[in-house]
Amino acid sequence: MWVWFSKLGSPKWFYELSSKWLPWLYVLMAVLMSVGLVWALLFVPQDYQQGDTIRIMYVHVPVASISLACFPLMAIAGAITLVWKMKLADMVAKCAAPIGAWFTAVALATGAIWGEPIWGTWWVWDARLTSMLIQFFLLIGVIALRSAIESPDSAAKACALLSIVGAINVPIIKYSVEWWNTLHQPASSFSMEQDSAFGPEIWVPLVIMFVAVYCFFVISLILSTRNEILQRERKSGWVVDIVNGVKG
Amino acid sequence: MFENIAFSSVSEFLQMGKYALHVWAVYGIFAVFIFVNLFLPRIQRKRFIAEQKSRAQREAQIKSARERASGEKV
Repeated sequence: MWVWFSKLGSPKWFYELSSKWLPWLYVLMAVLMSVGLVWALLFVPQDYQQGDTIRIMYVHVPVASISLACFPLMAIAGAITLVWKMKLADMVAKCAAPIGAWFTAVALATGAIWGEPIWGTWWVWDARLTSMLIQFFLLIGVIALRSAIESPDSAAKACALLSIVGAINVPIIKYSVEWWNTLHQPASSFSMEQDSAFGPEIWVPLVIMFVAVYCFFVISLILSTRNEILQRERKSGWVVDIVNGVKG
Repeated sequence: MFENIAFSSVSEFLQMGKYALHVWAVYGIFAVFIFVNLFLPRIQRKRFIAEQKSRAQREAQIKSARERASGEKV
């Protein structure tokens, strides 16, 4: 266990392992994304109330729910950084923040576009929307905090703490639709019946898009973590070998 | 399979009921989002490798210049 743990913390080991995983993740993402997009855009029946805006769900819901994974990830990585001072954990935490900000921004933007025809407004200070906006500002805060502190070690510690504190917002977002009477609807419960409002012909493509967008999240996190590894380990022999090995 | 398509013509598909602007704006944002997050890291990686190479070259030049200089003195 401990051997595995310290190996996982080695940036070189992660770099080599991720080189093997990336092609498979790309293939999985491409296949699921193509199937999911074609299904969502062409085959999902028009909703009896929402019409074709139901197709917005297949982008909005996966992006929004995966954006919630970001703070727990950064909080866990932050805790590992604080306790074991593992270099890799801090690199992942650093790279997760901008990606999380992207996911949150896209969730907010697509939600606003969906809200305009269905709710009649782009924005309301509803609990779900407001807590998502707070998540966006918290992520911007984490990014700004890191760039404001010059010493990498202190920046890592400060960002780890802010990420752990900021993770409190995640259950608030998750349960906001149940704790408060809000305009945003609660999560629909999956039903196996064809005729139900949320039957398989609606949720199967949603699950496919969810896995596809998750692959995309993992790929972009791996890609930017690899860049961060190269940057921080640029003086070590194996990175010099990689640089020299690339032609051009 | 094709009889399950929710639209009867291409123009109907592009119109998305009366929500063409909304639906296509969302899918457009999604496309940009994916494109940017997959290609920015690639550009950064290329830039990093180019930087490291030119730095290594500079260092090698400085080193050989120093060796030449110290050789002339002797």
